[in-house]
Amino acid sequence: MMNLLELFGEHPGWYFVAATLVPLFSFVLILLASAMWCATRPFRDTPAGAALFNLFGGEERGRTPAYIATGAIALAFVFSLIGFILFTAQQSQFETEITKHERTLYELRTKAATAQGEDKEKAEESLEAEEHQLEQKEKRWADAREKMWQGHLDWLRIRPAGISDPDNGTVLQLGFKIDSLSALMFVMVTFIATLIHLFSIGYMSDELQPEVEDHQVHTAYGHLQRRGRFGRFFMYLSLFCFSMLNLVLADNLFQVFLSWELVGICSYLLVGFYFERQSASNAANKAFITNRIGDAGFILGLLILWTNLGTFNFDQIFQRVRAPLTDAHGSVNMAGRFVRGEVAQEGSPKFTTQEHGAQILIFPRKPPEHYHALVKNVAQDPKPDQHSWMPYWMLVAAGLGIFLGCVGKSAQFPLQVWLPDAMEGPTPVSALIHAATMVAAGVYLVGRCYPLFTYEALLVIAYTGGITLFVAATIAIVMTDIKKVLAYSTVSQLGYMMLALGVGGWVAGLFHLMTHAFFKALLFLGSGSVIYGCHHEQDMLKMGGLYPKMKITALTMLTGVLAIAGIPLFTGWYSKDAILAQALGFVYVHPQHLFLFLLPLVTAGITAFYMSRLWLMTFTGKPRDEHVYEHAHESPWTMTVPLIALAVCSVCVAWGWPIYDAESSWLESNVHHAQHHAVLADFGNIDYSVSEDHGEYWTVAKKAEENERLYAHHNHHLAGNLALGLVAIGIVFAGLIYWKRVLDPAEAKEQFPGLHAFLMDKWRFDWLYSVIVVRPALVVGHWFAWFDLHVIDGIIHLVARISVLVSKWDGVFDNNVVDGLVNLVGNVTYDVGARLRNVQTGFLRSYVLFLVLAAAGIFMVLAYFVRMATAG
Amino acid sequence: MNLAVGLNHFLLLGALLFVCGAVCMATKRNAIGILMGVELVLNAATINFVAFAYYNPIFQVEGQIFALFVIVLAAAEAAIALAIVLNFYNNHMTVDVDTAEELKG
Repeated sequence: MMNLLELFGEHPGWYFVAATLVPLFSFVLILLASAMWCATRPFRDTPAGAALFNLFGGEERGRTPAYIATGAIALAFVFSLIGFILFTAQQSQFETEITKHERTLYELRTKAATAQGEDKEKAEESLEAEEHQLEQKEKRWADAREKMWQGHLDWLRIRPAGISDPDNGTVLQLGFKIDSLSALMFVMVTFIATLIHLFSIGYMSDELQPEVEDHQVHTAYGHLQRRGRFGRFFMYLSLFCFSMLNLVLADNLFQVFLSWELVGICSYLLVGFYFERQSASNAANKAFITNRIGDAGFILGLLILWTNLGTFNFDQIFQRVRAPLTDAHGSVNMAGRFVRGEVAQEGSPKFTTQEHGAQILIFPRKPPEHYHALVKNVAQDPKPDQHSWMPYWMLVAAGLGIFLGCVGKSAQFPLQVWLPDAMEGPTPVSALIHAATMVAAGVYLVGRCYPLFTYEALLVIAYTGGITLFVAATIAIVMTDIKKVLAYSTVSQLGYMMLALGVGGWVAGLFHLMTHAFFKALLFLGSGSVIYGCHHEQDMLKMGGLYPKMKITALTMLTGVLAIAGIPLFTGWYSKDAILAQALGFVYVHPQHLFLFLLPLVTAGITAFYMSRLWLMTFTGKPRDEHVYEHAHESPWTMTVPLIALAVCSVCVAWGWPIYDAESSWLESNVHHAQHHAVLADFGNIDYSVSEDHGEYWTVAKKAEENERLYAHHNHHLAGNLALGLVAIGIVFAGLIYWKRVLDPAEAKEQFPGLHAFLMDKWRFDWLYSVIVVRPALVVGHWFAWFDLHVIDGIIHLVARISVLVSKWDGVFDNNVVDGLVNLVGNVTYDVGARLRNVQTGFLRSYVLFLVLAAAGIFMVLAYFVRMATAG
Repeated sequence: MNLAVGLNHFLLLGALLFVCGAVCMATKRNAIGILMGVELVLNAATINFVAFAYYNPIFQVEGQIFALFVIVLAAAEAAIALAIVLNFYNNHMTVDVDTAEELKG
């Protein structure tokens, strides 16, 4: 016990490890209990068996699994919160100290610049001392951080043949690394998951009955009757939470990939929770297969990195592809960037730096003292302190491959088709997948791997995000299923995040991921509450005027709507403005990519329109369906409490001081701490004008007019106000149509029938995939079926016929020759017996006669022999 | 002519008695008759035992003990045989052994 406390005291990172493992423990516990339940069920008639059977649930299975799972995730939340508070406290202390040092440095520098003679020397001396002190402090902080917040163990070591040294060779590791991004993710995921667990206890209560009737499945005997699956649901939820937390915890790509696949399988199981419904099992398959396409890219990316760098550890990968910030002599000129060039192969290979070279320099595992020299000796198979190289296009491919994985997981264009179908799962699952976990994983990984992405890859990311956010938002306008609207809005918001990451808004994108998680979980749980209250009616065309019936749900959902629309002071406002400002900055420097600003700007208005439409259609106006309206009711407290908690978070979680300043968000500044210096190197300026130019790398200094971040910062309000104007237009428009009923949506539908049908068909993506993928696959499948039926089956039939023929001949031989011999022996025996039986007369007297005669005979023979013997 | 009775006379008597018994067994159809034949055969053997015991000092004790054995044996045999006969009678309502032909091949 003491040891455990000491462990947590010295390595507070273990709080996060504990938070990860608790849901896994809950999963295993529920799994084992179910297994025991199944094992003891046959013996429930015996007293001992009945006692065991009842211990593991009995015939009436209660809510215990829910309590275990909810308790576990709540405990995980507590652990995460403790870890987060410790981490933040340490970080802010460090920040304060650094700021203090920097202020002194600044003063000393001005003094050194202005002073003359002796004073100047003195000032320079103290300046050097101060710089040294700061450096020492930073090093100490880095060491402490490594000790406290990182850890790993070797999982599998792959040794090249002929090497017996146990430490040599490449290694797959399990490890954890906490920075402020993962700490925040932990708190966010566990908090939302706890609320979703709580919500599910109420929402899934139907599954508690021993016999559940599924009204959507028709069998020959009426509706399907099946056993309730309450425990199974919570078991899956626990596994899901473990996978997601493990993904956030991981310090290497391999562990991320493992969790990635676990998340995928959990989503498959949960989306297909009502697997008897054809639509649900199709949706689960679609989600899984679409994600496989993405994962194929992911694996390619992993293979490229593994082959060229020999490690999956994030820090090591980044350290090897990006130039270091500083060395023993001060700053390095290519600081934080990729170093491209050409390799000359005469003699020992030499790397020459060029701006658009086809090769990229791989930095040594062990950083040398100094990086200078324009021409470098490189090695194909480098020692720890040697440089190496790899083709630039391969790094681009690795980045795109990993991004393809993220495209699948985060439902980006062109793999966005699975997410709306995944609404077939229970609503809490939709909230968990679409808000806190699975789709967040893709964005999170793009953020984590940012230093890997080259300029080309980032541009692909930005455009993918831009297309996705626009396409999804336009589809959301026409959807009438309340959950589908939310699904498309999720796809659209994920597009925003990807776009932000692509245009250098690393902080903005991940900030939006956090805020979006809160208000999207709120919106999904709110829609779940509406659906539950309306007795599983999801069509908004049958709702309307529900506000008096369910006030808590309506008001909390309104909060979510305002947050996602980006109304000032709600969370969405801070993050969306940050994204738009960054996009504006990017477009200012690269005017040819104008669409990367226009698309999100216009979509901000569209988002406000369709979200207002959703709320107004559901809660205001006259009821469209009297039956649904009359039976509607507010949900129980387990469902409304999470709604209220999430609503509060959707308002306050991004606040900073002062709260009316869009750039002062506390959450944003916290995410900012985790930003890799590569982001600044690519899109901003790392200000190293202080140090002298030691490096001989060719220099790319970003001038002010080429600095996206600076421009974004200066024009934050311009972007924000433009978006706000469009948002206002969107809301007013929605109000006119769906509240005041000034315009009739049906008329608009009749006026643009082609456009409406196009949007209703989801831009015909499903049709397109059906034409170019599914149907060709079916055609090829039919060919194979024909081949199978005619060629392979033909051969097999031929073989079978030959066998039959051979067997026939074999049968003839068997029947006649072999059986004939056996029968002959039998017949002979029988005949001899038949002849001999006549001897047995059955007359007692004849037996006596024979007996006497025989005795006499024997006597005579004996007498004869005795005589012969005596005579001889 | 030596008319003293010797071993051979006894053996002759025994043989005569044995043949009588055997003929009796082979010719009688009455089960009781056959039993009588058996008794004759056994007594013929007893005569032989006793005769040898008398004339040959080596067999003095054994011959007499065997004679006693045969008598006891005969008594036991008679008891069992009469029981069989009784059962035979119950099954066939006669003691004619020719009716017992179930063992005919």
